[in-house]
Amino acid sequence: MGLEEIRIVAFTVEMALLATALVLVPGVAAAFFLARYRGPGKGALDTVLSLPLVLPPTVVGFLLLELLGRNRPLGAWLAQHGIEIVFTWKAVVLATAVMSFPLLVRSARTAFEEVDPRLVGLARTLGAGPFAAFFRVALPLAWRGVLAGAVLAFSRALGEFGATIMIAGNIPGRTQTLALAIFHDVQVGRDDRAVGLAAVTVGLAFAALWTTEWIAVRRRLRRDET
Amino acid sequence: MTAPAVEIDLTLSAPGFVLRVATRIPNGVTAVMGPSGAGKTSLLEAMAGLRRGVRGRLVLGSQVALDSARGINLAPERRRVGYVPQDAGLFPHLSVLGNVRFGARADAAAVDAAIDTLEIRPLLARSTLALSGGERQRVALARALATQPRLLLLDEPMAALDPGLRDRVLPWLLRVRDEWALPCLYVTHNVGEALAVASHMVVLDNGGLEAEGDPRSLLSAPVVVGEAQAGIENILSARIVAHDATGGTTRVRTDAGLDVSVTLAADRPVGAPVTLAVRAEDVLVCGAPAFPEGISARNVYPSSIVMLERTGPDVTLRGSLGEDRGELLARVTPAAVTALSLAVGKTVWLAIKSHSIRLG
Amino acid sequence: MRCARLAAALLLAVVAVTATSVRSAADPPPRELLVFAAASLTDALVEIGAAFEGREDVRVLFSFGGSNALARQVLAGAPADLFVSANLDRMDELERAGLVRPEDRVELLSNRLAVVVSARSTLSVSSPVDLERARRLALGDPEAVPAGIYARRWLEARGLWAGLRERVIPTLDVRAALGAVESGSADAAIVYRTDAALSGRVRVEFEIPPEQTPGIVYPASVLASSTSVHARLFLIYLQSREAHAVFTRLGFEPLEGS
Repeated sequence: MGLEEIRIVAFTVEMALLATALVLVPGVAAAFFLARYRGPGKGALDTVLSLPLVLPPTVVGFLLLELLGRNRPLGAWLAQHGIEIVFTWKAVVLATAVMSFPLLVRSARTAFEEVDPRLVGLARTLGAGPFAAFFRVALPLAWRGVLAGAVLAFSRALGEFGATIMIAGNIPGRTQTLALAIFHDVQVGRDDRAVGLAAVTVGLAFAALWTTEWIAVRRRLRRDET
Repeated sequence: MTAPAVEIDLTLSAPGFVLRVATRIPNGVTAVMGPSGAGKTSLLEAMAGLRRGVRGRLVLGSQVALDSARGINLAPERRRVGYVPQDAGLFPHLSVLGNVRFGARADAAAVDAAIDTLEIRPLLARSTLALSGGERQRVALARALATQPRLLLLDEPMAALDPGLRDRVLPWLLRVRDEWALPCLYVTHNVGEALAVASHMVVLDNGGLEAEGDPRSLLSAPVVVGEAQAGIENILSARIVAHDATGGTTRVRTDAGLDVSVTLAADRPVGAPVTLAVRAEDVLVCGAPAFPEGISARNVYPSSIVMLERTGPDVTLRGSLGEDRGELLARVTPAAVTALSLAVGKTVWLAIKSHSIRLG
Repeated sequence: MRCARLAAALLLAVVAVTATSVRSAADPPPRELLVFAAASLTDALVEIGAAFEGREDVRVLFSFGGSNALARQVLAGAPADLFVSANLDRMDELERAGLVRPEDRVELLSNRLAVVVSARSTLSVSSPVDLERARRLALGDPEAVPAGIYARRWLEARGLWAGLRERVIPTLDVRAALGAVESGSADAAIVYRTDAALSGRVRVEFEIPPEQTPGIVYPASVLASSTSVHARLFLIYLQSREAHAVFTRLGFEPLEGS
């Protein structure tokens, strides 16, 4: 594997990390909210947030392009203000973040639902405000599930293809991730390189999923203790 | 006349349930009783600020926690209300000390005082998973007290404990009551607890206030609450005289001088005050002129019937036990009245099994 | 309580900073040129680009693909500095959208189509009608990719399109069509002769005479939004003698541009 291949791997991992960092705060917040809120509109919100899980990634990419393309109102506005997103690394982060978001939310939400709901209320009566109650009680009790969700989101981000190719293109050196590189290599007959890159991708995915499994086992053990 | 410690005028509307309570709570412990579903827990949660859709007025001493008319609705963390739920609700990821210290306003002095009152210093380093039921309740109490609340809310704190354990937590409850001058709402199903701890009582049913007042008078007059009858007609103050471990009994003497045999309560010291509670249904009436030999009940007293009254499907009988020795209420069927030819003035024997007497 | 709020704000700040400004340091440095070019130009432009890098202090990045896909990306806002298309239509589209100025356009090259089969194949296609022996024919997507459009027009003119269209495998660009024959996914393909010449795994069965196809023209232009001073320099270099030599060697036909 040459320098160029290593760059592609490093770029892919970097993009996946950034995407995970981007969805972390909104994802955890959404998960906590969905776990506790019992009012109108909850089902609708849950469905909307889960859409990227079910929609074809190319559709998600297409929708993002409709939103941010230069020939669309929002995209034009952004371009006017010197903000470039489409077909740059930022689009890679955005596409992978959107596709990974529901995975984080689901996992974190389950973790928050496992926390005794009255404990947060009790923390409030003891003088903790909403943020303090979240950080000192809910999150410490749910952190394993949140972490598992983050690792799952990262894994998904590593392999994102459909949405990425729509909104970020496959520009070597700028937006080419492992998945895009493999696709292109197979297209033009560079199977030798494709095989190498695919092996790396499988290795990364395996490591990430195995970590998730390990965290889940620890969670089960801990839960059986209490 | 001192101002009431807590002023409550709350309406809570939830799907399928409406709670409407307006009353004033004095200082000291107020027992809250009523059947399941009456709204006791909802009332506590509403007062702590943990429920949405609560309207009305709630004043804790000098602080207005809720006043819908003026748009005041303090968040739970600002209300200074200590809440101890039924199963303690300790934070599993913190040690005992971590739990007690959790409150934002828990300054070191208050934390120490709470630890000392509940005597949990030996437990501080432990994980919350390594505590018994009674210890958990004490830690939860200490945790609430450490924040120096203006009001303490206890939701059936001893319901999850074994009856033997119950008596061991009670002394600390009494210490809290005596050492920390706080108004306290104490939800319970247990009449003995209510009598032991509370100086005031409210009874809830169907989301509304059914009755309020002095615990003894409320419990003496049978209050038909929903489907459950919360009436204990016979309440006597007494003191422990002696324990008989082999015989499995403890002897007590009422203030009126009546000797009563109850089931063994060895953990209560001799001389300690105790309240006896017996339901009218559990008092047997024997019409034979001679002392009834050969029955298991240890408490048999000669009595003269002073009142005989039809109450619903039954007949309530009031029997005097002699000069200054008090009275007992018994409930019998009309068939029994006829069979025994019961009438005012007749002498009968009243018998009570040790097991029918509840200690408070 | 206050420290929890502070922690929340800090976490948010860390995430925000991480997500944007840290990586912004890796935003394309000014001395980088992004060239979008038709897939068939891959080898030629890589070589020419390397030579250009040797002369100027700039790094040339290429994105090769179907001209249609690249044009759409530029329309959507892709930050390319130069665009070299395999047909005029796509460049016209960009000009109509105001992304290319007419005075910046140059007609750079021409090319020829060729019918190829796998080098190990026994299939013989000596005349157009023999194409009907191919079970699967790979073309750059005949609805969008220039090479595929050129091929379809030729087939239509010969009256062969109706019979063959069911057997067409449309690929994303012409190099993928070549790859399909190389890998055996298709029996034959119509690609540029320049593509066929580069592959040792295919055999040219016959070349399509230029008079039988609509004019194949590769226009090139600087994009109006480009801020790179090197863009124009590279466009000029593409028309230089050195560049022409490379193009010619690989089988292209440089046009007399500006």
